[in-house]
Amino acid sequence: MSGEFIAFFVLALLTIGGAVFMISFTRVVHMVVALAFTFLGIAGLYVLLEAEFVGVTQVLVYSGAISILMLFGIMLTRHDATEVTERKGPFKYIAFAGIAVFFIVAFLGIQSAHWGDQQADFTKQNNVKEIGIQLFTHYVIPFEAVSVLLLVALVGAIILAKKEAEDE
Amino acid sequence: MATVYMNNYLIVAIFLFLGILLPVGALTLARFLRPSNPTEEKRKTYESGVEPVGSSWVQFNVKYYIFALLFVVFDVETVFLYPWAVAYDSLGLFALVEMVIFIVLLVIGLIYAWKKKVLEWN
Repeated sequence: MSGEFIAFFVLALLTIGGAVFMISFTRVVHMVVALAFTFLGIAGLYVLLEAEFVGVTQVLVYSGAISILMLFGIMLTRHDATEVTERKGPFKYIAFAGIAVFFIVAFLGIQSAHWGDQQADFTKQNNVKEIGIQLFTHYVIPFEAVSVLLLVALVGAIILAKKEAEDE
Repeated sequence: MATVYMNNYLIVAIFLFLGILLPVGALTLARFLRPSNPTEEKRKTYESGVEPVGSSWVQFNVKYYIFALLFVVFDVETVFLYPWAVAYDSLGLFALVEMVIFIVLLVIGLIYAWKKKVLEWN
């Protein structure tokens, strides 16, 4: 039992546990906190895969910024409301059947997937530098499209929020 | 190489463990040492000596949300700046022009927010 295995086990438990708690909690604020734990667990898994930059980005953007954004979004609404409606009857069985089918498809897909014979060695090269070179040579157009996307998101959110503020 | 690399994370794990253990241990120890004598006044939420009014679960102003959103947008920008800065030596002028376009587009968003008086707090 190597340290990597233990770390993977703990992080996978954190990730799945956060997701399960997020679904089972009834208060939305608690759900966001559970989701933040899932984000942290995923960041740890990225680090285990030697993708430190992606891991740090995950912590910076998802665990930090997106969770806070979600909290503020919740604070704007009636966040003291708790979930009470529980669907019963055939819906439960249909959902269970859907999950079972998804599990079988995903399981068979992972089993039959071909991962390549040789493992890529990331330790000998600078990970972040490689990302930078790839991003600014092969993926320049998507990169510039991201800036337009961010601009549209910013302007759209300001327009929506301003409208909301005027209505009050 | 790989084993040395992974062993570096052992130190991170030890620090993480200590960081969780110390406050939990200190608070648990204090729980056993301190006298327990709760009164109605002690249980109240304390903030700058002001009497608390109503519930803490109030509806926030929409401005907080816009500030958080601005933060996310510029956070993502910083994430893109980092690999650009690391790989700058081997990229040359073209990447600089690309990054200037990227930043200018986001500055347009900031100016728009400024003009719409989003940054003002009244």
